[in-house]
This record gives sequence, C-alpha cells and structure tokens, in this order.
Amino acid sequence: MLLSAQNVSKEFGNLRAVAGADLAIEEGEIIGLIGPNGAGKSTFFNCLAGETLPTTGKIVFDGVDVTTASPETHARLGIGRTFQVPATFEDLTVLDNVMVGAFLRHPHRTHARAHALKVLDLVGLKDRQDLRARSLGTPGRKRLEIARVLATGPRLMLLDEALAGLTPAELQQAIALVRKIHETGVTLVIVEHIMEVIMTLARRIIVFNQGHVIAQGEPQQVVKDEAVIEAYLGRGHRNWRKKD
Amino acid sequence: MKGTIALCLAFLAYPFVFSNAFYLDIGVALLLAAISASAWNIVGGYAGQVSVGHCMFFGVGAYLPLLVYQHWQLPPIVGVPVGIAISLVLAVLVGLPTFRLSGHYFSMATIAVAELIRLVVSTWDFAGAAIGLQGPAVGRGWYDLTFRGELPYYFIFLGVLVIVLAVTWQVQRTRFGYYLRAIKAGERAARSLGVPVRRTKLYALMLSAAFTSVAGSLYAIKTGFIDPDSGFGILVSVQMVIIAALGGAGTLYGPLVGALILIPLQTATNTWFGGGGTGLTYILYGGIIVIIARFEPGGLHEMWQRIAPKLWKRHAA
Amino acid sequence: MLLLQVIVGGLLLGAIYALFSSGLTLIWGMMNFINFAHGEFVMLGMYVALLVVVWLGGGPATFGFAAAVALFVLGVLVYGSLIRHVTRGPMLAQILSTFGLALLLRYTAFWIFSANIVSLPQTSLGGTLNILGILVPVAQLVAGITAAVLTVAMHLFLTGTTIGSKLLAVAEDRNAAMLMGIRPDRMQALAWGLAAASAGIAGALMAISYPWSPSVGETFGLMAFVVVTFGGFGSVPGAMYAGLIIGLIQALSAFYFGPIYKDIVVYGLFVALLWFRPQGLLGKA
Repeated sequence: MLLSAQNVSKEFGNLRAVAGADLAIEEGEIIGLIGPNGAGKSTFFNCLAGETLPTTGKIVFDGVDVTTASPETHARLGIGRTFQVPATFEDLTVLDNVMVGAFLRHPHRTHARAHALKVLDLVGLKDRQDLRARSLGTPGRKRLEIARVLATGPRLMLLDEALAGLTPAELQQAIALVRKIHETGVTLVIVEHIMEVIMTLARRIIVFNQGHVIAQGEPQQVVKDEAVIEAYLGRGHRNWRKKD
Repeated sequence: MKGTIALCLAFLAYPFVFSNAFYLDIGVALLLAAISASAWNIVGGYAGQVSVGHCMFFGVGAYLPLLVYQHWQLPPIVGVPVGIAISLVLAVLVGLPTFRLSGHYFSMATIAVAELIRLVVSTWDFAGAAIGLQGPAVGRGWYDLTFRGELPYYFIFLGVLVIVLAVTWQVQRTRFGYYLRAIKAGERAARSLGVPVRRTKLYALMLSAAFTSVAGSLYAIKTGFIDPDSGFGILVSVQMVIIAALGGAGTLYGPLVGALILIPLQTATNTWFGGGGTGLTYILYGGIIVIIARFEPGGLHEMWQRIAPKLWKRHAA
Repeated sequence: MLLLQVIVGGLLLGAIYALFSSGLTLIWGMMNFINFAHGEFVMLGMYVALLVVVWLGGGPATFGFAAAVALFVLGVLVYGSLIRHVTRGPMLAQILSTFGLALLLRYTAFWIFSANIVSLPQTSLGGTLNILGILVPVAQLVAGITAAVLTVAMHLFLTGTTIGSKLLAVAEDRNAAMLMGIRPDRMQALAWGLAAASAGIAGALMAISYPWSPSVGETFGLMAFVVVTFGGFGSVPGAMYAGLIIGLIQALSAFYFGPIYKDIVVYGLFVALLWFRPQGLLGKA
C-alpha cells in the first residue's frame, strides 16, 4: 500500500470538516475524490498534503508516518500537490518555476535545468519556457503547476481541481497529460467536481460527504450508489457540474 | 558581460579622472552605500524578507574594530571577524523566531531589536555610551589601515563591493538563489515543492548580516569614529532599504544603480541647502520610498524592463 | 507611598498606550497590515494640540477633538491614496509604504517645528490631587481616564454597533462581507480613520502633561508594536490590558533602574516575547 489514512478528522472550532475519513491507495492507481461543495474533501486533501494538521487520525506513506510532517517533508518523501487556484511563481520564468521543483532531486544547476526541460517537454510547455509565469493563461498555469510538481519526482501526485475551468478542447489535452503522467508510474489522486471527467480517468472513485467517505469503488458502480445519488441529487442536479 | 567589464573599468578609472578630494569622497561614500545596500538586498530583495533594522549588523560591524582598539590597542581590523560573528548570532536570534510567522513580524522585530541595541549601546560605558568610540588618530603601521588620502579606501571598498556582488551573482545561479526567489514569490507553493523555507530564509539573513557587518567595519575604520546614531540609527537602515528598492530589490545591480543615483543626489541636496539640508534629505528619502512602494515596487529595474522594449521598437520604426 | 504613586502614574500612561495601540491592532486585525507610521500619527496629534492652543486657544476638550478629527481625515487620506494600492502588492511595497510615510511625517515635522522639545502652555487641568496620600497630577488623571474610556468605547463600538460588526465582518472574511453587501474598501478606510484618530487623541492627551519633540513618534510606534504583540494581534481588549501592563512595567523599571532603562526593559521584553510567545501573551495559541 502506498498511502493509508485512518480515521482522519479535522475540527475548526466547533465545525468538523473531516470526520473520521479512511482511505487506502495502492501504487499505480488513479483515484477520483469527489463530493458536493463543503463535503470536506479540500480539507482532507490538505491533510494528505501535510498542509493541515489533522485533529485525530494517522496517515502513513510508504511505511512512514507523515501525519504531522511538514509540506516540505511530504515533497521530499514523494508526495506532490497542486493548488486549486494555481500558485505559480508569477515573476519567475516558466523554466525557473519548474527548476525550483527540479532542485529537490537535482541539487546541481545544470542537472536541474536539464531535468526541468525534460519535464517541460512532457507537459508541452517547452516553447514557452522563457515567458514569465504570469503571462500564461489559467490552463497554462495549471499545466505549469503540474510540471513543477512533476519535476520534484513524486510517487504520488495530489491534483486539486486541475481540470476545473477548462474548455472542452483544453480538457482533452489535460486528460491526455494526466494519462501520460500516470504511464510514467506516478500514482494520482484527483479532486474534482466534474463527474464526467473523473469517470473517464479514474479507476476508482471515492465519494466524500459531510466529512467522511460515503462510497467508493469503480466509477460505474459508484454512480448507482443510493447514498451518492442522495448526496448529489438531493441538492439538485445542477450542482453536479457547477464549480464553487 | 560587456556591461560588467565597462562598469569595472569606469570604477577603476573614476579616482584618476575625478582626483580632487570632493569627488573622491563621493566615490567612497557611493561604494560604501552600494556595499550595504547589496548586502541588504540578499535577504530583503531576493528573499523578500524586508528588514528595516539592518543597522543592527552595520553597527555591530562598526563598533567592534574600534572597541578592540580602544580597550586592547589591537589593530581595528581584528574586530572585523568578531563583528561578523556577533552579527551572525544576532541574525539567528532575530530570524529563528520570526521566520515562522508572516513577513510583518520579521520587519517589526528587526526595527525593535535595532532600537533596543541602540539604546543599550547609548548607555553602556564600555561601548563609549552616547559619546561613541574613536579609532587610532595616527596609524601605528599599515595594519591600522589609517591612510592620509582617500584613494586606498576607494580601492579597498571597490574590492569588497566586487566580492559582495560576485557572491550575490553566484547565489543567484544556485539552488539557494532559486529557493530565495521562490520563497519571495509564494511561500506556500515553495514549501509544497520541498523548499525548506525557514532554513533558507535564515541562511539568507545570515549571509546578508555578515556582509552588512563588514560594511559597518569599513565605515568605522575609514571614519575612525562611531557613535550610537551613526552605527545603530534608523537612518542607517533607511539608506540601505531605499537604495536597494530604488535601483531594484532582488536584482544584482539594483543596489549599485540606486547608490549611483541617491548618493550624488544626497550630496547635492546637502550642498544646496547647507546645514539645514539634512532634514530635507530625509523628507526626500521618505517621499521616494512612498513613491516606490505605491507606483513601482520593482524599482528602476522593473521600470526599465517595461520601457526598454518600447524604446527599441520606436528606434526600429 | 512613593511606589504606589509610581504604579498609578504608570497605569495612567499605560491607558494612553492602550488607546493608540488599539488603533494599530484594529488595522492588523482587519487587513494583516502593520502601520509603521502609527507613532508618527501620535506625534502629529501632539502638534495639532499645540497649534490649536496657540492659534485658537481653548482647552483640552477642544484640542483633543481637533486632533481626533484632523488625524481621522489623515488616516482616511493615507488609506485612499496609499494603502489601498499596496495591500495586494508584494511584501516590500506593503512594508515600505508606511515605513516611508513614517519618515516623511517625522522629518517634515522636524523641518517645520525643529528638533526642539516643546510643551503645551498650562491648561485648565493644572494642579495635583492628593488621593489618600498619593499625589496625582490632575492632567494625568483626566488624560488616563479619558483614554481608558475611549478604548472601552472603541471596543463597544466594534462589538455592539452595526458599523462595528460590518468592520469585523470585513476582517473575518472580505469576500463573504462583499456578498453581504458590505463595501470592504469603505470599511477599511473607516478603520484607518479610526486608528489614526485614536492615535491623534492619545497624542493630544499626552501633550497636556509631557513635553515632546518630533522624534517621539519612533518611540510611540515601537511602544505600540510591543503593546499589540503583548495583547495579541487584532484584539482591542488585549491592547487594553497590555497597554496598562506595559505602562506599569515602564514606570517600575524607571523607578528601580533609572529613567534611561525604561524603554530598554520594554523592548527587551518584546524581543523575549517574540521568541517565546509570538502570538502574544494574551492572544490565543
């Protein structure tokens, strides 16, 4: 097992954002983490990335207890993450952005540069390597964020709505990119609102509601689940596709 | 590269072209200001951690050479490494607790610690209290570094500036330099990519503190006198910040460009307005800082980056 | 008896520290922004009091009110012309904006009023009260009590009125406040006005009993940092208690170690606090 989360809870004051969530991820999976707005999946995601300290529970990555480890340690151990709102280094060039990530495993500048260029080639940003990050559009910045994380050499990548807000054409490119990354041997967890996209990508879907996992399994199976239909459809069908 | 060589030649030629004492004095002041501002730039510019109390390192560096002379008759230069060591300790004391928190805490802590040290030094007889300390009036040998003319100081200062800029250039190219810029651009994202944020900031502050301390030592050795205000006064910090920010914080030559503009300007206002000019100079400083913050936080460097392409286009047309 | 007198004096001055520090903490709480020119606002309050007395005459009520109004206007202007434009900018711009403003105000004051120490002419609040053997100058007593009342009033305003709750809503969550129809820009401008006014009145109150020069701004600015750090960033009641404590510590260290050490002790405590409890002595962990 690559990562396991047991009974993870997070409380903000009186609010229980995550209430005893469990998750087990095998190496090589693509997992979709879905759930209606306010289901606590973002908080849970941040717990997995080491950015939020869980109130209770235990998270183990590849045999190492990472429950209280810092985001830096997560990156070093091989857990990479993207942000819901792309947090690219706006004043740095595209290449420099990726080099910051590449330096984690390649301390020397020339090696880091070579590795970063390889990653840029993979994600299709090589022709824009000298532009400043801020001059890219949202799809470009999302792509750059993925490249940056990829350059750190992760074994597990956590993507926070990497596909949201893209046009259908961009979406197809993004899906192709995610597949390509998966083929290189990276395990993926994708948080997403758009059900259709996740259905075509993920091998396994985990549905979050009210702070815990209410259903999981193969995509076809999950959409038929009573609890899932209740959680989603109970709030009106339109919420399915809406971003928050 | 060509520009760098031209710049070096210009600085080497300057004292021979403008050999009278007045211009040489400006040259020496300019070099010293460029050294301190370049030192500040490492943590304030590249890492984006805005210190407004860097005078604490400058003052320590300035006091130590004269302290070792005053109390033990040692050559002032002996105090330089001691000053660096104390500055490094200070950097850790200030950086370690505040780098966990938002950037505002660091700025507040720097100004408060600097003021605390100034007050302590002003009441401490060992350090000359409010009166200050003096260096050797007449050098006992070359090792006292007391020269009759300004020329030797000019070249010593130039040498130190070259070292500071060379180190900065090297930092810029390495992982450490990339990490500094990443931290400035976004701490949260940097952390998620495995950048050890707190440690990197601390190293930057320590490097910056060491160079600032050397700048203080150079000042004291050349002037042969130091008191609490010229060592630990807020205006010492202000000058570093304004020069770096004016030229372009976080760029290699920004502080040097800032010094090239500000030091002649300062000399001019002091000359035009006579003794009362110093007050006006600081009003001007405040005004410049506010204008930079409001309109062009990237300084002249950023402005040039924006304007230059348009100029070329016009030339081409 | 002498010790008691020192304690009372310290608390009365501390109440004034609490008043101007509550302004600084309000700005921090609302927008995570440190105003390096806050001490200069206090200093300007003192000179406004002086000018009003010299040009128009009038007692403490008149010049206190004038200082509040003048500084309120200045605070709103500073927000509108400077702060509003830098809050979303880089850290360098945020810090340099008010740091530069502090220099501008301080040295303009030096230029206009010179570095000489000045004091207000004797006001109607002369004389000394003898309360159970403790001698308290009337001016200090009135100033301290006024400051305490105003600080409490500020707290009540924030927690008990509609405008106050709108201010706090913006502090809590800018976007949510906007959705509720609150205009954050106006609320922040108001906060800057209030913060500057609190500094202005505090300055005027201190001017009654203490002589000053343009350089006091630096001292008061740092004092406000210390109080806010002690009391917990963003908390007005915290600033109230911390102000009183700092005033007391200052008075006692002046009494036991000598006047020149009073600021050293306070700044030393501040540095220790940053090390061990940066969230403030009274703030939440």
